[in-house]
Amino acid sequence: MKVLVAVKRVIDAYVKVRVKSDGSGVETANVKMSMNPFCEIAVEEAVRLKEQGIASEVVVVSCGPQVNQETIRTALAMGADRGILVQSDEELQPLGIAKLLKSVVEKEQPDLVLLGKQAVDNDFNQTGQMLSALLGWSQGTFASKIEQQDGKLRVTREIDGGLETLDLATPTIVTADLRLNEPRYASLPNIMKAKKKPIETIEAEELGLDIAPRLKVLNVSEPPARQAGVRVESIADLVDKLKNEAKVI
Amino acid sequence: MSQARTTASGAGSEGLLLDDLTALCREALSAAESFSEAAKAALAASVAPEGKPDAALLEREQFAAHGYAWFATYVAALREMLNWADRLESEGRFGELEALMLQAAFGEYLNQLYGGIALSQVEILRPVDLGLSEAETYAFLTPAVKKLCASGHTAAVRARIGDFLHDGHFGAPGLDETEAMIADEFRKFADAHSEAAHEWHLKDDLIPLEVVQQLADLGVFGLTVSEAYGGTGMGKTAMCVVTEELSRGYIGLGSLGTRSEIAAELITLGGTQAQKDHWLPRIASGEILPTAVFTEPNTGSDLGSLRTRAQKDGEVYRFTGNKTWITHAARTDVMTLLARTNPDEPGYRGLSMFLAEKPRGTDAEPFPAEGMSGGEIEVLGYRGMKEYEIAFDGFEVPAANLLGEVEGEGFKQLMATFESARIQTAARAVGVAQNAMELGLSYARERKQFGKAILEFPRVSGKLTWMAVETMVARQLTLAAAREKDSGRRCDIEAGMAKLLAARVAWANADNALQIHGGNGYALEYKISRVLCDARILNIFEGAAEIQAQVITRGLMKPGRN
Repeated sequence: MKVLVAVKRVIDAYVKVRVKSDGSGVETANVKMSMNPFCEIAVEEAVRLKEQGIASEVVVVSCGPQVNQETIRTALAMGADRGILVQSDEELQPLGIAKLLKSVVEKEQPDLVLLGKQAVDNDFNQTGQMLSALLGWSQGTFASKIEQQDGKLRVTREIDGGLETLDLATPTIVTADLRLNEPRYASLPNIMKAKKKPIETIEAEELGLDIAPRLKVLNVSEPPARQAGVRVESIADLVDKLKNEAKVI
Repeated sequence: MSQARTTASGAGSEGLLLDDLTALCREALSAAESFSEAAKAALAASVAPEGKPDAALLEREQFAAHGYAWFATYVAALREMLNWADRLESEGRFGELEALMLQAAFGEYLNQLYGGIALSQVEILRPVDLGLSEAETYAFLTPAVKKLCASGHTAAVRARIGDFLHDGHFGAPGLDETEAMIADEFRKFADAHSEAAHEWHLKDDLIPLEVVQQLADLGVFGLTVSEAYGGTGMGKTAMCVVTEELSRGYIGLGSLGTRSEIAAELITLGGTQAQKDHWLPRIASGEILPTAVFTEPNTGSDLGSLRTRAQKDGEVYRFTGNKTWITHAARTDVMTLLARTNPDEPGYRGLSMFLAEKPRGTDAEPFPAEGMSGGEIEVLGYRGMKEYEIAFDGFEVPAANLLGEVEGEGFKQLMATFESARIQTAARAVGVAQNAMELGLSYARERKQFGKAILEFPRVSGKLTWMAVETMVARQLTLAAAREKDSGRRCDIEAGMAKLLAARVAWANADNALQIHGGNGYALEYKISRVLCDARILNIFEGAAEIQAQVITRGLMKPGRN
């Protein structure tokens, strides 16, 4: 089984994000960037499938500027076999990325496409689903477990009411949830090996797709600062405040 | 100046950053180099009247001699900060924070070169102590130096750097893509173990073997071992990156690899082919853990006088004598053991190095080998591997385990590893320094007094700011020494300078981060109490600060060396 994993480069989850003063977005210049944590989980799962003998090859793809090569390289150091950069310096939104991924899927013909369920920057949670729709493939989103069962993939999904189990015929799309696995640390030998693994670059422009943004960001603002708490004198006081100030009861 | 800006809250750097900063620093560096040359000449006049330093005079003028080592270390540190800035600038990564750090480092160190350098809290070295005249000292105050002294490291500059710290920015270390990836992976690993590490310290436990195995799987023990012997064949720069990140989590994690590094380097440089084939793959994989057995009860810095005797008896050497301060002695499998094979040669020429195998000990029986006994030395910090004293009484080692199978080479073989060991220790110190600063920062963010987070008080944030800047200075000096080593050049002086400075920074950061914690910092449950204990050893082991200064000065005073 050939697995394609899509990875996104985002602001590192441990960095405090600052909104640009004009409200047009967040500051990214000189800010530490990392692989989106859910994408890391997807890469880890693909590498585990390969280690279990289920996957034969793991290909990593990322859409965006040249510097996304670093993110691909991290995935290669975790154990993926080769990378593809779909290069574009334009703003990319879920639909555009899904279209780009579709063309990579058509070229690579994977049996499984693994993605993170969402990225921690914009929290869209759309790319996997849109790719599924564009390809007309089945999808198992928010996966917390993936097994091979009678030639199909059995995917356990985390849903509101509990867990749902799906048997998916390949080719299929699966998006990774937090509990799917705990990503490994890339070892020093694998970091060195990753330097020699190939990364192919495809110019997004040359694919002739309409990837123009459909969504317009009107304004980005900081969440309101948390107000200091007060100590109530009595339970009656608390109930009164909940009723009349917070208006929650 | 580059327009690239790291983001931070606050008012920005308007009016804080000096115009043409890197050019200004370059001018000031040149003045500092001249000042250092003048200091060297003044020192030479008192300790080397015949052109070559005289041992008795060097000892009489020890304060000045060692002070000069610090003087030169400061100048080297500024040079490396400027190299760092140049490199970042050429890559478009020299942001506002990095510029402020460069400026603060120059402002502070130039002021100290002129006004006094703390060799320790109780010894301040001033230009007059080096024999510099008033005219020479005033000549140092060029317009560039004066400008940086006056406006380089002001309260406003500290406040602005504090804005960045508040947001979790500590400045770009200037690593390449691979090094940055290594740093990321080991940072995550260290973070994942930092809570448990504090427990190991409190319970005085050995670092669990499963954690040792995880480090082995990540390739830590084979980092610099050649690929031909199962290692990764990476350089000392990568070793520094790994060591710093691990030590940032816990000094013990960053130190597990130290003995493997020393053993592997001893064998790589001095071993026979058979010894390399046998030992290197096992060290690289972590299958065997080595320990370094050099120090004796009466022999610390003066290694040449050590007395443990190795007497040849047929196919074996028989050992008698006492060793002490042996880190990780019980749980390791092989000792790099320095002993005297020639009793007629009392100096270092009579010493030989052995690869002495021993069975791995347990808590119940730490030293199960015949002819070997030992006991634990309980210590303040730097736990996790434990310290031991060892006695040999007829302990046997096969003659084939004499390193290089030549007697009398031991001291020379060991000296060849000192550069790496010092660079690695400097990197450990940088990691500990960073950890202390981050602990202080996180406490200052959370702790509220007088109605606000104490981080908002300038004397709290200002401490943290200088800690961050000086940690960056120590890091750049350390990485520079590592790059020298990787390029195949001799770097004993650079390595010594990095170790000397980084150890002082680690201790200063730990002490001041504890101060920020107030009484809580004195409580064992807070990590900073451990970091204080861990930091204290860095000024002592792998060449005490005084020895380090001596080595640096002797090296710099050698005729023909500049």
